[in-house]
Amino acid sequence: MIRIVSLLWLLLLSMTNSLAYAEDPFIKIGVLSHRGDTFTLNSWGPTARYLTNKLPDYDFEIIPLDFDEVDSAVKNDEVDFILVNPGIYVNLEYKYRVSRLGTMYNLRGDDAYKVFGGVIFTRKDREDIQTLEDLHGKSFMAVDATSLGGFQMAWRELQAKGINPYEDFSKLEFGGIHDHVVRSVINGEIDAGTVRTDILERMSNTAGLDLTQVRIINPQTDSNFPFRLSTRLYPEWPFSKLQKTSDELAKKVALALFAMPKEHPAALAGKYAVWDLPLDYQQVHELFQELRLPPYDQIGKFTVKDVVKKYWYWGVAAAIVLLGMGVITSAVVRRNKRLKRIQLRMERHYERLLDSVGDGIYGVDLNGNCTFANKATENITGWKTAQLVGNNQHTILHHSHADGTHYPVEECPVYKTTNDSLPRFIDDDIFWKADGSTISVEYSCTPIKGPRNTTIGSAVVFRDITQRELVKKKTIEHQLQLFHVARLSTLGEMASGIAHELNQPLTVINNYSRACIRMLGSKDSTDESMQDQCSEVMEKISKQAERAGAVIKQIRHFVNKDLPDKKPVKVSEMLDVVLELTHMEIERKMVTLQLDIDDSVEWVLAQDTQIEQVIINLVRNAVEAMEDTPEGQRNLIIKTENQQDGKLKISISDSGSGIDKEVVEQLFDPFITTKEQGMGLGLSISQGIIETHDDKIIIEDNVEGGVCFSFKLPIVKSPKIEKENNIRKTKNKEVA
Amino acid sequence: MSEQITVFIVDDDEEVRDSLKLLIESVGLETETFDSAQSYLDSFDRSRAGCLILDVRMKGMSGLTLQEQLSKEPICPPIIIITGHGDVQMAVRAVKAGASEFLEKPFNEQELLDSIHVAIEKDAEQRGRASRLAEIQAKVDNLTDREKEVMELIVTGMQNKNIASELHISQSTVEAHRSKVMDKMQARTLSDLMRMIISLRPM
Repeated sequence: MIRIVSLLWLLLLSMTNSLAYAEDPFIKIGVLSHRGDTFTLNSWGPTARYLTNKLPDYDFEIIPLDFDEVDSAVKNDEVDFILVNPGIYVNLEYKYRVSRLGTMYNLRGDDAYKVFGGVIFTRKDREDIQTLEDLHGKSFMAVDATSLGGFQMAWRELQAKGINPYEDFSKLEFGGIHDHVVRSVINGEIDAGTVRTDILERMSNTAGLDLTQVRIINPQTDSNFPFRLSTRLYPEWPFSKLQKTSDELAKKVALALFAMPKEHPAALAGKYAVWDLPLDYQQVHELFQELRLPPYDQIGKFTVKDVVKKYWYWGVAAAIVLLGMGVITSAVVRRNKRLKRIQLRMERHYERLLDSVGDGIYGVDLNGNCTFANKATENITGWKTAQLVGNNQHTILHHSHADGTHYPVEECPVYKTTNDSLPRFIDDDIFWKADGSTISVEYSCTPIKGPRNTTIGSAVVFRDITQRELVKKKTIEHQLQLFHVARLSTLGEMASGIAHELNQPLTVINNYSRACIRMLGSKDSTDESMQDQCSEVMEKISKQAERAGAVIKQIRHFVNKDLPDKKPVKVSEMLDVVLELTHMEIERKMVTLQLDIDDSVEWVLAQDTQIEQVIINLVRNAVEAMEDTPEGQRNLIIKTENQQDGKLKISISDSGSGIDKEVVEQLFDPFITTKEQGMGLGLSISQGIIETHDDKIIIEDNVEGGVCFSFKLPIVKSPKIEKENNIRKTKNKEVA
Repeated sequence: MSEQITVFIVDDDEEVRDSLKLLIESVGLETETFDSAQSYLDSFDRSRAGCLILDVRMKGMSGLTLQEQLSKEPICPPIIIITGHGDVQMAVRAVKAGASEFLEKPFNEQELLDSIHVAIEKDAEQRGRASRLAEIQAKVDNLTDREKEVMELIVTGMQNKNIASELHISQSTVEAHRSKVMDKMQARTLSDLMRMIISLRPM
């Protein structure tokens, strides 16, 4: 029973609902899509959501429309509201009776303006161009033939002075983008140009444009408008309703828009400030009338009658041609529409694909401006796609090196690839994030080929390697710490030998000095020969103190913290340290040491303390390996050989019983040891050190028995000689 | 003791050797230096009095080996062992084997000089006892075989009549031998004689 009642209730409810929605609850807002559909959806989606929130009975949706889609969408009532630039608006008003509900206050910098205009300018040093009339016969650049602020507004002012831009300039060019027009004029490639108001100021703030270099032609002032201006002011984009859209809905939408608070997320996304009562678009109508642009392009000087009378045969021919063309055109238009839809689908497909990739991907045009950027780019760099697209990628991501110094654009790998069409891979660069911090990146830049195989830009694929770099740095630090700790432990094992090494001179010093004290205290102390003897002894004391000092110096050098940098070091100095610290042990174990040094090599490139550590380890191993060898047959050979391939081979061989084949294989593994004392880390760490010197320790059996451990180091010229050579070179230059 | 006393220094480090020589000579003692245990052994003369300063760790023959060799001699100079850091165990072994003192480097010079004096005294004492024993032995050697036989029994504390029956001779003959022994050995009492004979026996 209850079930039936609730069912009925539901039915009733749905009926009243559908009654309330006499009109379609899905409201479509057509928006002129001049930067691609994704951009439009991102910019205006939030506004649609805002309206849906405010008017919950409706569901607002943004329909991006290309320039040539706007007309048919309005004509066929495919949308309910339309948001287009003022030029298109007056056309739609004229043709389809759309009516404006509000005018957008556009954000220019930090302030909001409901009007805009055009600015005509030349270089300051062009003394010959002072007024509009002076432009006669000069070359001129505008943004686009259909651009209101970037051409048509200036055209109106020029026409008022009797100048037809299409006939009276020596050259009329359209630069496509505002920045290009400004740059062409500043570079002197073009005599004068026109762009929308606020472009010059923006480029002065962000692109280093020097405004004192620019002269404004036909300057206008308006107390409410701070930007440089050459034309009349015209209203910003209007939000309008189609004729079919009910006044009631239009009113609700208009009120909701006016009620939008400042800095609402929807406004921030659309880059506007607020909506307000609609302005008068009569100025735009007048501009189009004066310039005979659509929709006022039909008005001729002749009456229709005159034309028919004079050109009727042309008319008949034209009508036939037109009829034929009409048939063809309608077929082409239909096909075009289908192709367009497929293209759109493909584009969205690619966008989704790009957005699902984990690496950052962005495109760059020949001007160095970003043409697209995927989601990962936003996530990694923190820059919004809207902030990147249309702006110079080097200035945003790359402007400085990690140390803050300027990064000239000519050195930018992306710039280079765009120029020379060669792909590049960079594995150690940084990008600047939106929050001002940096990330380590690796990236590839690949040229993008256009028609006829010309480069039209490049694609950059990058990856955040900050974490990886950090781990790498940590690993190196840990390794250095390990080397250092191992060295301290080796020193600990050698402590008794080293203590003896110090005891010897201390004992001698003590004996001598005590003897001197006694001699000087005796009754013969004034005896001249005794005084001579004393000073002779003092000399010996001093020698011994120096000997002790030398031992301590070598120890201090050996326990130094590792500096990661390799530098030219003297082979003989490293061997001195090694022998100073090990000779006690060598002698104690009755081992005969033989040095076989190649004097032709003085300097090698190495981290000296680490190499000393390796040699000490190998020497001590060799000495221990000969413990069971009969005395008199214990031979230790330290040998250096110039390999003639730029390397010095250092080998340490013993005359012990050799190493078993199985042991050799795991000799360099940590914690493998045949000794009772020691951790078995010596060889493993020595191998680690030699690997950081780009070599490996090699073990070979000696012909006469025993084992030989060896490794190689790169030979370098004496740094001193090189320096001297440099000095000589510069001196020669001066003389020359 | 009219003999010359010498401090023998054996160390393979020339500087240590020379500094020790200078120090010891500064207190008026004679020294003689050797750079190895072998060279000392080669010129060893048991009749020379003094003491030996010996580095325990040397190339070739070690200090301990030298000590072992010398211990076989009836008279050898007292040995002062000097050691480096970490050789203490070795030094303890040396002392157990009869070294008179061990010093760890670097040592206090007064300690060294004191040890030298103690060692020289010990040497003098051992040399004095040796000459006394030689005297007693000479007296014993002067006895006839029968007198020696009688003396052996006297020092066990045996009565004359028991000695007589033991040797199958008359008691009066034993008495005559006894007074001859006491006379030749220059012993005033029986206990005097017993002390002399016991000191001859190996301890």
